[in-house]
Amino acid sequence: MNASIIFGLLLILMLTGMPISISLGLTVLTFLFTMTQVPVESVALKLFTGIEKFEIMAIPFFILAGNFLTHGGVARRMINFASAMVGHWHGGLALAGVLACALFAAVSGSSPATVVAIGSIILPAMVKQGFPRSFGAGVITTSGALGILIPPSLVMVMYAVATNTSVGALFMAGVIPGLVLAFLLGLTTWAIAKKNNYPRLPKASAAERMRTFREAIWGLLLIVIVIGGIYTGVFTPTEAAAMSAVYAFIIAVFVYKDMPLRGVPKILLSSASMSAMLLYIITNAVLFSFVLANENIPQAIADWIVGMDFGAVAFLLVVNVLLLAAGNFMEPSSIVLIMAPILFPVAMKLGIDPVHFGILMVVNMEVGMCHPPVGLNLYVASGITKMGITELTVAVMPWLLTMVGFLIAVSYWPGLSIWLPKTLGVM
Amino acid sequence: MLKVLDHLEEWLIAFLMAAATSIIFVAVMQRYAAGVPFLYDYVGHLNFSWAQELCIIMFVWMAKFGAAYGVRTGIHVGVDVLINRLEDRMRGKFIVFGLLAGALFTGTVATLGGHFVWENGAHYAFFNALGIAGDELFEGPITADLEWPTWIVYSAIPLGSALMCFRFLQVCVGFIRTGELPHHDHGHVEGLEEDTTDPQRAAQDINWFEMEDGLHPKDLAHHKGEGGDPSLDGRIDTPKEPTPDDWEGGDASAKVTEESRK
Repeated sequence: MNASIIFGLLLILMLTGMPISISLGLTVLTFLFTMTQVPVESVALKLFTGIEKFEIMAIPFFILAGNFLTHGGVARRMINFASAMVGHWHGGLALAGVLACALFAAVSGSSPATVVAIGSIILPAMVKQGFPRSFGAGVITTSGALGILIPPSLVMVMYAVATNTSVGALFMAGVIPGLVLAFLLGLTTWAIAKKNNYPRLPKASAAERMRTFREAIWGLLLIVIVIGGIYTGVFTPTEAAAMSAVYAFIIAVFVYKDMPLRGVPKILLSSASMSAMLLYIITNAVLFSFVLANENIPQAIADWIVGMDFGAVAFLLVVNVLLLAAGNFMEPSSIVLIMAPILFPVAMKLGIDPVHFGILMVVNMEVGMCHPPVGLNLYVASGITKMGITELTVAVMPWLLTMVGFLIAVSYWPGLSIWLPKTLGVM
Repeated sequence: MLKVLDHLEEWLIAFLMAAATSIIFVAVMQRYAAGVPFLYDYVGHLNFSWAQELCIIMFVWMAKFGAAYGVRTGIHVGVDVLINRLEDRMRGKFIVFGLLAGALFTGTVATLGGHFVWENGAHYAFFNALGIAGDELFEGPITADLEWPTWIVYSAIPLGSALMCFRFLQVCVGFIRTGELPHHDHGHVEGLEEDTTDPQRAAQDINWFEMEDGLHPKDLAHHKGEGGDPSLDGRIDTPKEPTPDDWEGGDASAKVTEESRK
């Protein structure tokens, strides 16, 4: 009963178009004022203590790092390196785009950031080379989604916060699925390019490859700092995020000198406002899940679903459908923060691995980012290419289908995600 | 006066971002430098155990004031599938409702938080400073590492929320007067002002939560008569040919909107 009131109210408030954070907060307040005895003042305190966790602070740091990398010329050098490596195969620049997206994803924690960083450079170049615009947009929109699967990843941090899973284990678990998905997207690109005989680049000489590698090395080192640092225990994930922000600042301003020092305040401001927006959703989502937990709603749902005797297979199918549907209305952080506390207890009761479940959610979010009506990647790509959303939706189809196929594999093959963290002993 | 407040807000959150990053960086560096015998003499005596706590406090302050800034710039994401299909008048009503709901929530939180802060030490501190403190007042707890009074730390909630409430009302009044929402990006990508030299960088400065992304309500000034359109996202479905200008950066209109926003 209480559950249906809470969810009903939340749904109605969200549909009025007010910010998600506000609708979460108002739901909680309404419920507290009218139906329970929880002292309302604890709410005010919870608004502060809700995000008083050091792990959450990785989010602003990764956003800041990502913004420095995007502006600092790291993406451009990664693209040059990628083109020198794979540009001579079928698909040429497009294939290089997939590789560059995967590389950039390994230093940035966000999908739209990856689309912006790689897409704004490679898409104009592809059009110039004679690729159809829709082909390039399709490749980059979907490959950009690797940003949240290959560590670091903001969505994984959100999931870790919502479910108390280890950020380090999730990051490691994302590595193999990320590489597999990058390979599959590349394969799709290669096949389409081969069929249509799209332009290829001349094969780069070994010297050329070496030169582009040396130029890109500063950016590539960041992968070592973040993933290596977390794995060896040199840094906690949050510290690694802070280190990568400082490192990204140094290479953008002093090594590559692509960014003038006076551009820094603007980047600080835009990173701060983006992080604040996400942190505000987190605060209110924490409040929301606090109320849910207080009413024992997740447990009740878990008991109910387990009582239905679904089994893990059917449950995962339902989760996928639910998350894909949610992807039509909300952006990933909100979905993870609202859904994870509800679905997680069920998954635990059914014996699903918490890390595997996290990766499954992340892949679902990736698919959601690439199709309308809400798909951040799609809108970013539309901003870069000036293509309409309908046109883009058609353009991403081949890669989107690949991703859905990959999603099924991730759902029913836990080993794909948890083998690496298990082997490395981080979980 | 308002301009001063605007700038203060921007400077505060940008400063907090930079400061928190530097603090964690220095703390980590110190931890490892202290492990090197040769450097130990210089940095070994420093104690950075408070760094995490300070970082958290700074980011919470940043989150509260940044959220207020976000209301002014319109980046808070919502669900717009339903309301963007309504006709103008209805949509206008819903937008006003949403803004007032935001003001209500933040106003309530500001009041609750203010009360909480007052009871947990602010009352004592102020009265003590004035020399009229009674015995029955509660001095309030202090934080774990920095040993700051928590009421100072927690006053981010009432202050930030009050500012946010004010911003919601400000946006609401602006919307009723002009039909405009502070939602930028009307079809182009904003460039860094100094970036006219690099053809590529202009396209990169996208805050994707500011785009027309199906996460924000459409306002009335820029989207007149677009509501009630049954087709999905009718507003962006007109494919535009990329002109050479789009790739060259330094889009002049970008600066115009940037200016007019200020």
